[in-house]
Amino acid sequence: MIPGWEATPGRLYVLATAIPLVVTLLLALAGMLRGWVRPLRARGGVAQTLYWVLGGDVPLRAGAYLAVAGMTLTALLSLLGLTLFLTQTATADSAGGCWAERIDWVRVGPMVAPGDALGTENVAAALPALALQVGYRIDALTAVLFAMVAVVSLCIFVFALGYMDEETQAVVEDHEAQHQYHRHTPVRRRGRFGRFYLFLSLFCFAMLHLLIADNLFQIFVSWELVGVCSFWLIGFYQERPSASQAANKAFIMNRVGDAGFLIGIAIAWSHLGTLNLDEIFRRLRGAEGGAGEIRRVQVLSTSEAGLEYVVVTGNDWPAQHVLLHPLTEQKREVFRDATESATANLHDYTVMPYWLWLVMGLGIFLGCVGKSAQWPLHTWLPDAMEGPTPVSALIHAATMVAAGVYLVGRCFPLFAPEVFLTIAYVGAITAFLAATIALVQTDIKRILAYSTCSQLGLMFLALGLGGWTAGLLHLVTHAFFKALLFLGAGSVIHACGHVQDITRLGGLYRKMPITALTMLVGVLAIAGFPFLSGWYSKERILSQVMGLGLYQPEHILLWLLPLLTTIMTSYYMFRLWLTVFTGPPRDKQLHDQVHESPAVMTVPLLVLAVLSGAGAWGWPLWEVEASWLGQVLEKAQPAMVREFAAITERGHQYHTWTGIVALACTLVGAAAAYLWFGRTPVTAEQLQVRTLVGRFLWQKWYFDEAYEAIWVRPTVRLASGIAAADKRSTTVEAGIAAHPPSPDRSEETTAEEATPPRFDWGTLDGWLNSLGDAAASGGAAVQQWQSGRLRLYVLTLALTVVVLLAMLVVLAG
Amino acid sequence: MLEADLIWLTILIFLPTATALTLLLVPARAAEVMRWLAVFGAAGTLSVSLCVVVGYYLLLDSRLDANGRPLYSAWTRLDARADQAASDAAQPIPKALLSDDWIARRPWIEDFDIYYALGVDGIGLSLVVLTALITLTALMASWNIEQGVRGYLILVLLLETGVIGAFLALDFFLFYVFYELMLIPMFVLIGLWGGERRRYAAFKFVVYTLTGSVAILAALLAWHTVDVRDFVDQAEVQQRVRELARERHLSESDVDNQVRIHTFDLVTLSKVGRAVMLILSGQEHRLAARDHIAEQPVWNQVPNGPVKLFAPGVDVAAAIARLKAQPVCTPSFQYLVFALLFVGFAVKVPVVPLHSWLPDAHVEAPTPISMILAGILLKLGGYGILRLAVPLCPWAAAQLSLWIGLIGVVGIVYGALVAMGQTDFKKLLAYSSVSHMGFVILGLAAWSSGGTAQYWQWGVNGAVFQMLAHGITASALFFVVGVVYDRAHHRDLRRMGGLWEPMPLYCGFSAVLFFASMGLPGLCGFVGEFFVLLSAWHFSPALAVPAVLSVILTAGYLLWTWLRVFTGVNEATASFADLTPREAATLLPYVVLAILLGVLPFTLVLKWVDPAVTGWIANLAVLR
Repeated sequence: MIPGWEATPGRLYVLATAIPLVVTLLLALAGMLRGWVRPLRARGGVAQTLYWVLGGDVPLRAGAYLAVAGMTLTALLSLLGLTLFLTQTATADSAGGCWAERIDWVRVGPMVAPGDALGTENVAAALPALALQVGYRIDALTAVLFAMVAVVSLCIFVFALGYMDEETQAVVEDHEAQHQYHRHTPVRRRGRFGRFYLFLSLFCFAMLHLLIADNLFQIFVSWELVGVCSFWLIGFYQERPSASQAANKAFIMNRVGDAGFLIGIAIAWSHLGTLNLDEIFRRLRGAEGGAGEIRRVQVLSTSEAGLEYVVVTGNDWPAQHVLLHPLTEQKREVFRDATESATANLHDYTVMPYWLWLVMGLGIFLGCVGKSAQWPLHTWLPDAMEGPTPVSALIHAATMVAAGVYLVGRCFPLFAPEVFLTIAYVGAITAFLAATIALVQTDIKRILAYSTCSQLGLMFLALGLGGWTAGLLHLVTHAFFKALLFLGAGSVIHACGHVQDITRLGGLYRKMPITALTMLVGVLAIAGFPFLSGWYSKERILSQVMGLGLYQPEHILLWLLPLLTTIMTSYYMFRLWLTVFTGPPRDKQLHDQVHESPAVMTVPLLVLAVLSGAGAWGWPLWEVEASWLGQVLEKAQPAMVREFAAITERGHQYHTWTGIVALACTLVGAAAAYLWFGRTPVTAEQLQVRTLVGRFLWQKWYFDEAYEAIWVRPTVRLASGIAAADKRSTTVEAGIAAHPPSPDRSEETTAEEATPPRFDWGTLDGWLNSLGDAAASGGAAVQQWQSGRLRLYVLTLALTVVVLLAMLVVLAG
Repeated sequence: MLEADLIWLTILIFLPTATALTLLLVPARAAEVMRWLAVFGAAGTLSVSLCVVVGYYLLLDSRLDANGRPLYSAWTRLDARADQAASDAAQPIPKALLSDDWIARRPWIEDFDIYYALGVDGIGLSLVVLTALITLTALMASWNIEQGVRGYLILVLLLETGVIGAFLALDFFLFYVFYELMLIPMFVLIGLWGGERRRYAAFKFVVYTLTGSVAILAALLAWHTVDVRDFVDQAEVQQRVRELARERHLSESDVDNQVRIHTFDLVTLSKVGRAVMLILSGQEHRLAARDHIAEQPVWNQVPNGPVKLFAPGVDVAAAIARLKAQPVCTPSFQYLVFALLFVGFAVKVPVVPLHSWLPDAHVEAPTPISMILAGILLKLGGYGILRLAVPLCPWAAAQLSLWIGLIGVVGIVYGALVAMGQTDFKKLLAYSSVSHMGFVILGLAAWSSGGTAQYWQWGVNGAVFQMLAHGITASALFFVVGVVYDRAHHRDLRRMGGLWEPMPLYCGFSAVLFFASMGLPGLCGFVGEFFVLLSAWHFSPALAVPAVLSVILTAGYLLWTWLRVFTGVNEATASFADLTPREAATLLPYVVLAILLGVLPFTLVLKWVDPAVTGWIANLAVLR
């Protein structure tokens, strides 16, 4: 079936990744053809037939079924791949060569190293930065996450068949858009079922591609592709200005992170000469798999023959460089035993400044901050909830936003200690910050969005403290229960006619028991109740955190904030569940029309509930370390995690205590929520915030306003300022910054033609024009008998030539 | 004997002219016939250019290099082939001209050493294909030009001849002739078929570009004063010596020192430039004579090894002395001529602050002319810097490389910021061109040498690819504006919106092009920018950081435009008709290319462009 399958089972993953792409292309092609023949549909003939075959005015369901079928195939292949991988690597000691392959994407010139004879292959390979390669590499981490993404995507694809069913109508009325435009007539549009699945499939391709990539370049490509899919899907309801603006915000904030990522890539390319992750690790840490230690060196001299170094083992001041090992493997390992300071004169080794290594790590991490919506780039994620709920579940909860965590885990060996500390702090701050905001929100999806930010922060915190398995295990379990929670919310929203405000919901348990119960599983899992999947991962994270607290008590925030977050998480999740499903209905009229969602939506809920419950189980059940999923992930753990052994060991020592503290935190939060929302009926007014702190949290710590004032407005003002200084506009264009496009474009501005003033010294353009005019008048004065503007110009130019030639003659003489 | 490549290249250049002449025979009433005829002529040109690509690829593929690999043999290099052709012609008994070396070299005005010399390599040829493609689509987009159809079509076709000729010329004078030939049709096209302020825009265009041309002309004349007798085949020198001796009735040894050879041949002149660079940077001991006319290339030579520039059989010491005695070997000459060439082409690119003509020209030009202007004419600026300014004056280019890089970065950031402040759709795109072409300048400036020359090579490959990608996205986006202008009759971004629902096909195509312009991976705009950024960091992180940050601005202004044009609800646009089949057929090739070039840049283009870039880099990187 796949060429060379026996020798290279990894191609299974390539195939699985390609399926959604093929689906995307087919859907795009069909959409293009349909659009092409649409103007001709009334004319009859082939065009009309084609138009009706492709669905005519009513969106076809066939495209969605095709996408679901493709995703099913991908999910099956991913499970097959996981099984194969685990059985094969259980017998063999390492993954071997067959699970990774790469080919050149672009290769430049037949360059040969200086001093060497015309190139043998080895010499050519030793030169850095000759080829950008593409390839795949499967390890336990990739295999697990690939399966997770494929299965969760499949659940959400199926769920969306039900959730998005109104998009199959010929005409859809968008009341939200009507509301935003203050219109009396409803906003009508065609259904967009196919388009939705097109973007969703493209997203799945990009996400899976990100997971199998073996180099930073491909990861960056996917990074941007998932971003653009996110852009399209957030802005799916493009009639609503709020949706389009949220989409823009998401994309541009992600680009801020991507710029950092690009800088990281550029440093790696310039100094390490490769973007392949294994090669990067080898250059930095020497041994296979990046097992060695970073060596800081002091450069004594550089010469043609090579560089002379002193290897310094401590972090002493003169050691401002990092030693880089040779690119090719077969070169000798000189420093294997050199623990003491030693001078060496080596041809194959190079160095890079320590601070650049630091910046490289920070740059890549900035990419992760943007993608995973961490503080200070977290504000786009809540706004991204403008997209349809399945999108929120898939992209903005389970997979794409977790890509940042994945990348930190994947690039673990290339970070400096200072970067790890930054990661931990950013994670802890985000976890706390987002949780506080989630306490008071009333939009069901926004609560979940802030909860996502917060949980991702916990993952980063764990990674920053060396809890590699803890962080990535939480990524997987979080994907299960957060997708479940979002789909549950989607089920509620669908049933309630797109009402998302919990102040209007209530008492839905009787009406939709399956949704309520499955969501309860999700709530318990995220809160960290024992034996649910979230418990296993959260316990590990908190164990790491407590280990740090005991080892380096000066980082008090790093263990205080996560504990507070645990309490708050439990509180706001129970608040959500209790308000929506228990108590009396707050909107009687709404409540009456509610009914349980169809099977196409509840079955995915049940599947995800099972995964959220039992996804991380192992034997014995009460032993956190025994989690099967955790053990699989541990296989992929990079060797350099041992640098955090001091933290991890202390965490292990006080494991039982951590468990008790964590459970206590969870119970405190849950009890508080029950006391306020569970016992007595809560009215809509009581859900509103009144206190000063509550208002501050309701306004999300005023981050949006601050960014608007610090970044957006100055940039736009600078842009229009420079634009005005560049050229006086010929139409009445003033004040776009002051008047952003108003939703109801009723106020039409008239464009007036105006000739620019003759001498306009205020703008660059006017300045140059004046210069030209001055030259022309000068020419006219000299050559009175000539007339006609063009002639004048030509004459001026001729004079210039003469002057220039005279200069040349002088020079020559 | 017939020289096949001469015929191919001449057809490639003059087929549009021939079509234009044929148009004169069509009766004035038959405007439709004229349009179709012009389209067929342009399509024929595109076909011929693709045939030349195949021929050139066969040339690369059929010879092996020292490592036994195809594509990088000696004949990859334009200068090796050009030298061989010149040498063959200079022999006392001229050798047979080769039909498959893609060099055509015939005397044109012998008194002034002007040759009709054409040569093909990947850099020029890729731009020729782009030109042919854009002209064809621009003609397809010209259907709604009603007035003076005949004149309009003739001018567009003449313009194509000028541009293709400039991309293929190996002779500086010939290049200049084609370069000027292209200005006049553009001037008339903007001046007669433009918008309300067309006279102003056309004059501005002419003044700016003529100023640039004059600078180039001055450089051209300056270069013609240089004596190149030690760089050309010595058989030619001997012949001149004999002629002079006969003329003056002196012995040959007496007149030997009086023989001067002047040329417009770019390959020879660039050798002079490189020799001067070695002398000026105190490395004259490295200068050496070649062993053969077409030297087997040594890619990335040994540091401080010999650089073989003089012709075989030349006394190196005497040659160096002769060269040093000339004004060309002074820093002031090098700086001045480089400045003239750079400024001359920078006007075309355009580079801030010489960009002021571009927004006016774009705003006033009709849609197809904007497509040609953005897609093709700007590329001539980048091409001129790549092919003329830097190779002719490498010393000055190296000295000023940081400043040139800075100019590129300023263009990138400034263009993006000004674009963000626009409310006219076309003006916005014009400024985005300034921003995107800044990457070309930055990539060319990223000098590096020795064992790290490959970084510069990425930069130059990126610059060439960026020119292609920008040609595709910019001209397509100008067509996108044209489509909406035809329906709305204005280009004010504040009054647009809601185009997605009535025009889904249009919106889908535009989406691909917007994101390609933004540099989304998987689409063509990404490749060039990414390569340039990678090499820019190696060159100077201080220049790379603003260039990297500009990706945020680019996303900002393009997405804001997207928001204002396509999304939302707008009664005014709700009844707009979607793309007609002709419009869709015009846009489709751009969309397909934007995707294909983004996914397979190497397989489709760089595979046959990189050998030429490698030769270019190998020539220059060794000097430092």
